[in-house]
Amino acid sequence: MSFIKILGVALSRGRATIRYPLEPPLITPYFRGRIEIDPSKCVGCGACARICPPKAIEIVEQGDKLAIRYFVGRCIFCAMCFDVCPQSAIEVTKDFELASLTLEDLYDEVVHSRRRCSVCGEPYLTTKLVDRVLQSIAPELRERLEMCPRCRRESVMKVIARARIRYAEPVEGG
Amino acid sequence: MLRRDQVIDVLKREMSDSVLEISELRSATIVSVDPRSLPRVSIALVALGARLRMMVASDERPWRACFSLYYIYAFDREGTNIIIHAPLDPDRPTAPSIVDLVRAVDWYELEARDLLGIEFEGRPPAPRFILPDDWPEGVYPLRKDVSVEQLRALYKPSPLEEARLLGAEEIVRIPIGPYHPALHEPEYFELYVRGEKVVGARYVGFMVHRGIEKLGESMKYDQVPFIAERICGICGFVHSTSYCQAVEDALGIEVPERAEFIRSLILEIERVHSHLLWFGVALHLLGYDTGFMHVWRIRERVMWLAELLTGSRKTYGLNVVGGVRRDIDRDRLDKARQVVKELRKEFAELVKITIDVPQVRARLRGTGYLSPGEAQVFAVVGPTARGSGIDIDVRKDFPYAGYKRIRPRVAVYSEGDNLARTLVRVDEVFESLDLIERFIDEMPGGAIRAEKIEYEPYRIGIGSVEAPRGEVIHMVITGSRTPYRWRVRAPTYQNLIAVPTMLRGVDLADAPLTIASIDPCFSCTDRAIVINVATGASRSVSLREIVRRRR
Repeated sequence: MSFIKILGVALSRGRATIRYPLEPPLITPYFRGRIEIDPSKCVGCGACARICPPKAIEIVEQGDKLAIRYFVGRCIFCAMCFDVCPQSAIEVTKDFELASLTLEDLYDEVVHSRRRCSVCGEPYLTTKLVDRVLQSIAPELRERLEMCPRCRRESVMKVIARARIRYAEPVEGG
Repeated sequence: MLRRDQVIDVLKREMSDSVLEISELRSATIVSVDPRSLPRVSIALVALGARLRMMVASDERPWRACFSLYYIYAFDREGTNIIIHAPLDPDRPTAPSIVDLVRAVDWYELEARDLLGIEFEGRPPAPRFILPDDWPEGVYPLRKDVSVEQLRALYKPSPLEEARLLGAEEIVRIPIGPYHPALHEPEYFELYVRGEKVVGARYVGFMVHRGIEKLGESMKYDQVPFIAERICGICGFVHSTSYCQAVEDALGIEVPERAEFIRSLILEIERVHSHLLWFGVALHLLGYDTGFMHVWRIRERVMWLAELLTGSRKTYGLNVVGGVRRDIDRDRLDKARQVVKELRKEFAELVKITIDVPQVRARLRGTGYLSPGEAQVFAVVGPTARGSGIDIDVRKDFPYAGYKRIRPRVAVYSEGDNLARTLVRVDEVFESLDLIERFIDEMPGGAIRAEKIEYEPYRIGIGSVEAPRGEVIHMVITGSRTPYRWRVRAPTYQNLIAVPTMLRGVDLADAPLTIASIDPCFSCTDRAIVINVATGASRSVSLREIVRRRR
């Protein structure tokens, strides 16, 4: 009759379940839920998108706009984005009640305007990111940062090529 | 006009040649017809909406020298009955079957055939319906010429001989799967059963092989731990730890001791919740659901503790190559100590109650036997090995993380049955609780992550961890940005192979527990993402894929 003893355990412990969702869920202060990106702090550098293991954060480039798009449906709540964000723009919330009837609700976007290349006019990085970097680098480098990566490469290559011609010719000639 | 009257009208007008007699009873009109006209009469009745209430066959030879069939039809709205009576030949009672016209008559005809020997023409031959298969030919118990005494003398039931005759003792194939009813994972066992005994078994798996290793080879080094952690829905941390250890081994990375202690601490917490999960499921499989509920009640404290220490109940997201991402402060470690203390008391109490239930013990002892020799041959690991007397444990044999400093006591039982494997896990829960306290007490200070990591290609490393289910082993060949090759071997991969041996000779009723006794993780073996029992998060597998693979 030893199994009867479990009744004593049951009686002394009482009800184990809580009246969720009428009562708050039993989560700790350390729980990781959905993330929130603060649009005022985000500069659109994309570090979060590059580290995100499940690729829940994407960089979406569309003409003059660049969006950091977060899809909570893919999120694994690891907070790697929080760790790498240089702007501390990401907050890890405790929100886990994420079900929705519309897919759009699972997306969150921070939209940035993109800077146009001073040479070819193509859009490249976000205005906010370029402005921020411009403030922190030496004045002589600023001109190149206003170019898109391709034009910047070309401009650098031209300088190198000119230098090579100047210094290499006598060797080839000799 | 009542429909009953319409029927009588039709019968009188159009089938006068078939109608023998019409008489009124108190509750019905009884129409005697020539048996050959039964189909025609039945159609007329059904067309008017009559419902067959019953058919009665009767041996009336001593009374009026015939067999009789009585078809009782009802017109429910009118509350009236029409009984179609057909007298049959006393020597060779035969009537046309009306089963094609009135489906409801099916069983009545078969019963009349068995019990009164009435032949219904036009029916396909059918096996005996009411009489047992070994009933003597030509004896119809409801005929008036046999008495009860005669029947008693004539026939004695012999179910065993009959079963043998029918081939019931031949081997029957019983499928379990393709979705395990208790473990909620895709697997497929085919049990070959003779009577109640399992005589053989076959396992079909890899239904959810999704190429996780290939995927990992396209991810950055520090992204892989997160997918590795999702290989198992219960003990994921063992996989992220094994992966990180393999990379650290390949590149000669020194992990700070505090990080190693944190890893071991979390690994032991994971072992406790995993073993409690298993213990609960085992009781559930034995039909002892009260025990199951209480074990899972105390397990909930462990899940809460895991979240307190790591930020998540199950997918801790703590491991990175070179250490751990987040430190755990004193305050939380003290809370953990408190939880461990409560758990030890509660678990001891529950173990005593549940394992002492005689029915539980009887079902565990002697079932699912795996001899030490066979255990060695199959190279099984974890509690499956330690329940068959094989004293192996990665924590002791290849010390890693915190186990380099703190060695666990390893529980070994030599009986090799389901009880032995259960007791190994019970002992391990207590040992893990002790270890958690020691890791907290002796945790060194300092950094939690190696400082600079250079990824050199084509270096080979091995990482292994004693998971709750046994040895997990990962091998990594490094590449410059991503792993060049990543191989995962979950413990179930090594243990499943022994299950058909354990199943041999067990009663069918003990098969589910025996399969579960290795604490199988089918999806981990397949290297796929699985339902997360702890949080309820799940992914779906397409039915078409399962069907295709099952062919």
